[in-house]
Amino acid sequence: MVTVNLTINGKEYSGETEPRMLLVHFIRDVLKLKGTHIGCDTGHCGACTIQWDGKPVKSCQILAVQAQGANLKTVEGLEGPNGELSIEQESFREKFALQCGYCTSGFLMMTNYLIRNNEEMTREEIREKLHGNYCMCTGYQQIVDAVQDAQRKYFAQKK
Amino acid sequence: MYPTEFEYYRPKTLDEALELMKTVEEPKVIAGGQSLMPMLKLRFYEPACLIDLGAIPELKQVKLDEGGNLRIGAMVTHFEVIENGLIRENAPILASTAENIGDIQIRNRGTIGGSICEADPSADYPPTMFVLEASIVLLSKEGRRTVRIEDFIKGPYETDAREDEIAVEIIVPKSTDQYHVEKYARRKADFAVVSVAAIARTASDGSIEELRIAAGALTDGPERLKSLESALKGKKKDSVDLQTSISETVDALTPISDIHGGEEYRKYSLKMMLARVIKELIE
Repeated sequence: MVTVNLTINGKEYSGETEPRMLLVHFIRDVLKLKGTHIGCDTGHCGACTIQWDGKPVKSCQILAVQAQGANLKTVEGLEGPNGELSIEQESFREKFALQCGYCTSGFLMMTNYLIRNNEEMTREEIREKLHGNYCMCTGYQQIVDAVQDAQRKYFAQKK
Repeated sequence: MYPTEFEYYRPKTLDEALELMKTVEEPKVIAGGQSLMPMLKLRFYEPACLIDLGAIPELKQVKLDEGGNLRIGAMVTHFEVIENGLIRENAPILASTAENIGDIQIRNRGTIGGSICEADPSADYPPTMFVLEASIVLLSKEGRRTVRIEDFIKGPYETDAREDEIAVEIIVPKSTDQYHVEKYARRKADFAVVSVAAIARTASDGSIEELRIAAGALTDGPERLKSLESALKGKKKDSVDLQTSISETVDALTPISDIHGGEEYRKYSLKMMLARVIKELIE
């Protein structure tokens, strides 16, 4: 067994793992942060997307031991100090951008990254940038609506 | 499915890593893991020991050497290949190639060294590396050697690297000629059904001064299309019979035949793609 120490959402965590455990299972089953989901387990669907040093990665394609000392952010890190929803979460709720909600945490972590690291995106650009995330309810129109809305909110907030 | 059990090592220096490669049983190197993790899960590989290069800072550098060649550390991510100013300036075709790989999440984690060493016959980098005439620097306790990319990729999932060697650096000669890199896949993140990389330079009199073309998604790995190059090089762009030259070259190739496309379909698509790419480059 290996002890992995890392930071998630600004808080330090430590846990024991077998070397072959996936990061997503370490986050969910060892550290008990259940917001990150696992979908396909093959790196296609993006449900397990988290941020590593601020950049989105798929946590089912990484071993927990590789994240020794890493600085991660999961969907639990989006909400404000008193549990208020982040702008991405607000937009997903307002635009009805989830149906079953299984893929949502992955989409939220992508949205959080995309709206901060791009100029105003067109719908086409949003679709292109989100092609590593699947919504099996196929609610993509509303997801694109929500990303656009969240980016507008983010730009307004920055002014 | 979970990977089989293995011992895990996370060396902090290259020296430590090379020592492990020599001493431990059945070592397998893991870089970003974006090709290897799926292969471990499929149990295509069942290594006894996994050597993680993630904690070695010197493998993450991009430099320009005295000869004007790029020296790209094996652990440089696809994201960095796209963003890096030195790469964009000295080998823009490489940055364009990296943009086609996987999706944002994969590009943030996957590395140039890992991708090349995986030697997947449909991967994105190899055709580009072939036209750039890149080389791979391999290091072991026994010493250092530099291998041309065409000699490095031996076949599908097979490279020239010995079991105790680590690919540490990719040497890419400067290339600012006109270029085009194109990949066709059913979904964007998929491996290529057909892929082409090409660079060209035309003289002021309309003759084709330089032309290098490589194709991917072939049975035995990527290939430089030398017969096509020599059929066109030195000719005036208006006097070449593009269709005939392309057909002769492509008919001699053996594309992969699988669920993503049969051989005939891939040959047809490759001909179309080559005609478009070459026309665009020499016009």
